[in-house]
Amino acid sequence: MLRYIIGRLLSILLTFFVVSVIVFLMMHSVPGGPFDGNDMPVSDAVKAKLNASLGLDKPLYEQYLRYMWGVLHFDFGVPFQSPGETVTELLARAWPPSLILGGSGVLIGAPLGILMGMAAAMRRNTWFDYVVSAFSTLGLTIPVFVISMMLIMVFSVWLNWLPAGGWEKPYSWILPITAYAAVPMATYARYTRSAMLDVMNKPFVTVLRAKGLSERRIIFQHVLRNAALPLVTVFLPMFIGTATGSIFVEAMFRVPGLGAYFVSSITLRDYPLEMSLILMITMMFCVAYLISDIVYALLNPRIRFGGKS
Amino acid sequence: MTRTRSPLYFALRRFADNKAAVVSALILGVILLMAIFAPLITPTGYADQAYLTEGLAFPSAQHWMGVDDLGRDFFTRIVYGARVSLSIGFSAALFAVLIGIPLGAIAGFYGGWADWFVMRLIELFSVVPPLLAAMLLGALTNGGFFTIVLIASLFGWVQVCLLVRAQVKAFREKEFVRAAQALGASPGYIIRRHLIPNSISPIIVGFVLAIPLAMMLEASLSFLGIGVPPPVPSWGQMINVGMNFMYFYWHLAVFPTLALAVTVLATTLLGDGLRDALDPTMKGR
Amino acid sequence: MTAPVLELRNLSKTFQLPRKGGWFAGYIDHHAVRDVSLTLPRNTILGLVGESGSGKSTTGLMTMRLMEPTSGRILIDGADISALTPAALKPYRRQMQIVFQDSYSALDPMMTLARIVAEPLHIHGIGTPDDQTEQALAMLDRVGLHRSYGQRYPHELSGGQRQRVAIARALILRPKVLVADEPTSALDVSVKAQIINLLLDLQQEMGLSILFISHDLSVVRSLTDRVAVMFNGRIVETAATETIFSDARHPYTQGLLSAIPVLNPRDRRPRRFLTAEEIERGIPRLPGAGTSPALVQVAPDHLVEAVAG
Repeated sequence: MLRYIIGRLLSILLTFFVVSVIVFLMMHSVPGGPFDGNDMPVSDAVKAKLNASLGLDKPLYEQYLRYMWGVLHFDFGVPFQSPGETVTELLARAWPPSLILGGSGVLIGAPLGILMGMAAAMRRNTWFDYVVSAFSTLGLTIPVFVISMMLIMVFSVWLNWLPAGGWEKPYSWILPITAYAAVPMATYARYTRSAMLDVMNKPFVTVLRAKGLSERRIIFQHVLRNAALPLVTVFLPMFIGTATGSIFVEAMFRVPGLGAYFVSSITLRDYPLEMSLILMITMMFCVAYLISDIVYALLNPRIRFGGKS
Repeated sequence: MTRTRSPLYFALRRFADNKAAVVSALILGVILLMAIFAPLITPTGYADQAYLTEGLAFPSAQHWMGVDDLGRDFFTRIVYGARVSLSIGFSAALFAVLIGIPLGAIAGFYGGWADWFVMRLIELFSVVPPLLAAMLLGALTNGGFFTIVLIASLFGWVQVCLLVRAQVKAFREKEFVRAAQALGASPGYIIRRHLIPNSISPIIVGFVLAIPLAMMLEASLSFLGIGVPPPVPSWGQMINVGMNFMYFYWHLAVFPTLALAVTVLATTLLGDGLRDALDPTMKGR
Repeated sequence: MTAPVLELRNLSKTFQLPRKGGWFAGYIDHHAVRDVSLTLPRNTILGLVGESGSGKSTTGLMTMRLMEPTSGRILIDGADISALTPAALKPYRRQMQIVFQDSYSALDPMMTLARIVAEPLHIHGIGTPDDQTEQALAMLDRVGLHRSYGQRYPHELSGGQRQRVAIARALILRPKVLVADEPTSALDVSVKAQIINLLLDLQQEMGLSILFISHDLSVVRSLTDRVAVMFNGRIVETAATETIFSDARHPYTQGLLSAIPVLNPRDRRPRRFLTAEEIERGIPRLPGAGTSPALVQVAPDHLVEAVAG
């Protein structure tokens, strides 16, 4: 077990290292630094001085090492677009709306999705099952900004019940959270339904029925326990995955969160901010996968831990 | 003598029983035909500002989907948008399959170091959210058709590769592979003649399911303004513009939204249906 | 006396299994096959019998060079093929072929029977594609499947028919040696007899020599000229078939024989189930034998494993 965890940890670290190098190289391989834009004419001498003050004149590997050294100390550098603060301060300012949005979206969406998936699996091939399936397919396939668009059209433009954007009043949070919850809800509805059906088709469930156990007890004591494994393992990666969707939800509803900064960091060639955002999300994914793998191994006694076959 | 039936025949029969998948295939077929014959069914070119005096007009008998803010027939724009969306979807899926098949086959067949390497490569692509990477690459290269195809196939091959790898791994131990080895067949021959033909189901499924992912990526990038550059119409870009007008001119937001939703949904349902038909054991996943 | 068509000399296979307890625990050697020597004279059938796990299938796979032996040599017509590269081995592949137990997985489900049977010709580049198909159809006919079966797929056939196809594929190159790895174990009794008869016919017609691997002693008795008994990776007794059935000396052979089901209840003998320890303890003790178990001649052409005692 320990061997398995150490192996996973090493491979995740390697992956993270490779991603960070690739991202770093990509950011620097493009022609043009932050001061090359036409909207900010700067003389060559000033430009050289600015580049030197930001460490942009050093060899690439040294810049990389310096940067990663800082990252280890939570020092992500200074964002070009607002030099008055550090990236860490900027992110700290931008986190709360994104966290409220993402947290409540997942906390509302996931349980609802599980309930819907369970109900659909228990009423297989009824209209309810079809509605849940159609809904979850929609939620998984249609881009988040399209879902946001539809919500705005219906609830803001036609019905005029809720504001189409902003973050000031709590009731303006309702639409973005709904848009955000759609993906976890759809994911969980689909996973729960298929995981339960998988288990319900296993011979041991037939045996339980033959034994005369009530359908309720079969579902709650036996099926759910066996179906829970895949559900646990998708949770963390999905949670982080919704972070990507936040860019669009935040853009659509004009929420002052991380998403807005991500978009501006890219268009403004803001290396430090861009790097730190990508690295942070990659790091969260790495940790999420690692935890998922470990949880999966702990919960599933049958997993084989490598070895020569 | 009874007619002989290849394994694919039964898959086709199972597919025909799946109503949602058949309807999706029909819808996708219609959209595909409209995209191919776009010049024949639209009144103007996609960038012609032929109706400036009627700018922002609502849908009518003459302009089925109205006119946009720059005086262009909106139906024309939507139809040409399908061209962009579908061609990006299909070419990205094609490249994804071309990358995924050999890597999956090699990883599954040889195992060991080859497998380790491919799995680390896949891990690399699974910890970086495709959209963020796409935004970064899109911004670095200023978008464009080929960049989007490149990014989408770069992230789309993983699924194909995993499916092919699993299939090859399962079939590598089969005795017909042993029999071919006993005949002196080389690994390349066995992969080409036995293992890849037996992976045709996961390859088809992987191909079809890579299409909506690429279309979504394109729409998302274009929505952010780093996708297909105007005036070439892209649904994502049109939704972005439509947002600015949605309180008064609903058609500019509604039609591209619907077009994108219907196309992506139809492709996904088609892929799900194919998967259920080709591999009944994978049903419902 | 002419050289045997197939000879195995001191063939051994050792698998390394990881020891429990983490990284530094090392490996345990598992001796699947130890020091097996066999000769297969031209135009004869040699039975290799033993329970599952006795190493008989491993021996068959090593004979075909489908698995690399840890040590020992394989000679075809006196030529040592145990160290040849795949390219150098290819001509010898024409002289030895194999039929497997599981006829379902032995045929590629995506190919028609004509293509399956023609494949050996294709791999060895013999004849034009039309020739190859024609020869394949003739071979199908020879094994008792009408030429029209050429266009069919494996899933349309019964188990016995599939095994006929596998035999056709193995014999189309007219090999000298056929390794038959439990070809009848998965078949019904009536079909089993048909396949045995087919093998006997083909053996006489084509001058084949067959290494017939089986745990089914009644089949072995009706088919083979000589028998080698394997236990725990070693050969423990070899003799002419009738000698084995009338005068078995090794406790394991005796145990195997007593396990043959007898139809008439009045002829039933008490069965003897021996544990592995009992067998090891019961190894015959002969004056001329060495201190560790080895094969000793007890009668003309009858070898038994024995120790000094």
